[in-house]
Amino acid sequence: MKPIEDIAAPFQMMEPDMRLELLLEYTEKLPPLPERYAEMRDAGMAMVHECQSPVFLMPEVEQNGDTAGEKTVHVHADVPESAPTARAFTAILHEAFDGATPAQVRQAPDDLLDRLGLSGLLGMQRTQGLAAIYRRLRNEVARQSTAGESTAGQETARSSDGTAEA
Amino acid sequence: MSDYAHPDVLVSTDWAAEHLDDTDHVRFVEANEDVLLYKTGHLPNAVNVDWVQDLQDDTVRDFIDAEQFADLCSRMGIEEDTKVVFYGDKNNWWACYAFWVFKLYGHADCAVMDGGRKKWEQEGRAMTTDTPDFAETDYPVPESADPSIRAFRKEVEEHMQRDGPMVDVRSPEEFKGEITHVPGLPEESSMRPGHIPGARNVPWARAANDEDGTFRPRAELAEIYEGEEGLDAGDDTIAYCRIGERSSHTWFVLTYLLGFDQVKNYDGSWTEWGNLVGAPIETGEAGS
Repeated sequence: MKPIEDIAAPFQMMEPDMRLELLLEYTEKLPPLPERYAEMRDAGMAMVHECQSPVFLMPEVEQNGDTAGEKTVHVHADVPESAPTARAFTAILHEAFDGATPAQVRQAPDDLLDRLGLSGLLGMQRTQGLAAIYRRLRNEVARQSTAGESTAGQETARSSDGTAEA
Repeated sequence: MSDYAHPDVLVSTDWAAEHLDDTDHVRFVEANEDVLLYKTGHLPNAVNVDWVQDLQDDTVRDFIDAEQFADLCSRMGIEEDTKVVFYGDKNNWWACYAFWVFKLYGHADCAVMDGGRKKWEQEGRAMTTDTPDFAETDYPVPESADPSIRAFRKEVEEHMQRDGPMVDVRSPEEFKGEITHVPGLPEESSMRPGHIPGARNVPWARAANDEDGTFRPRAELAEIYEGEEGLDAGDDTIAYCRIGERSSHTWFVLTYLLGFDQVKNYDGSWTEWGNLVGAPIETGEAGS
């Protein structure tokens, strides 16, 4: 995990077009989806419906074995290369929150997209899709950590084409 | 594609491949939903137009004005007689939107590359990340936007009152006014769900072949819009969606592929209508 401030700092320093270049670099940083989730993804589970593109997001809260009460967040995700913006943003979420504690996810800023300087750059419609990815991550982490679960998140049915449109 | 009403507004990927270097006469313009996609690779000599950054006003909810349009064309090295060929992701959805804006400002020679990025990529054709740099032109500022292809709210109200045909191109769930996709989330864009009374529902993507992103043959399009939904090429018709982009795809299909005489795109669409106090709304299936 990496503090949000450290991720946001270079974005905030750059001109809009360079911000897009920086975002582009993140498209290369999303780790491959662990094989054990491929079946869920292919079945259309755990999709972020508000996105224009098929975004698979499966946050997990792991109960650390030897320390009572300690939990770790894992971010598993897959986004096609044909949707580089959603892929890049998901990679940012991975960098920020994979390995974090549920409390760190809970305390993360609501206005993450503003802090990255992306809101104005992308426009409202696109921002809503990305905000939905972030919201799903936080809701799912909150749900799993308060329920005291350590298993995979709730499965949601996918809409007919797995996408919602602007 | 020759049996379409106006086949000259479509070019094939073959035609495009042969004209990539004809930069004195042809400008390829990529228009995508995804802001980064162009940067990951595009047709050689293609420029990028982003619907948020390039086509919309920063402050007012409107398109760029005539001067900004002329400036955009000049920056891309487009002249009045340049053939501008649009293509993009999502079955040319945003390509049609950009096409519509160019028509709004009266650019004469506009076309869409049938199949868009999807078909071009499927065919394994040349892509590059090099951004071309064309000599700036001095594109004349259009006198005004063409009101014949754009509907404003008042006109839509009057159209509804005289039972004029309308096509709502959103998903059936949006059209029927069912609560949208994720339970527990407030509806962010509109205060009320449903559709404009009298509208028919044809989701925009039905006009495209999902396999390669090309438009369906004319006979199939006619069966959908005229056969199933009873639209008539001779009637003034209004298309809308949520912000007017999906409906520009349907506007393109009705106008150029089926030869409807007069189609307007209501770009205020549901994000305007569904937020108006007192505006009539219908829910459920389309009336008969």
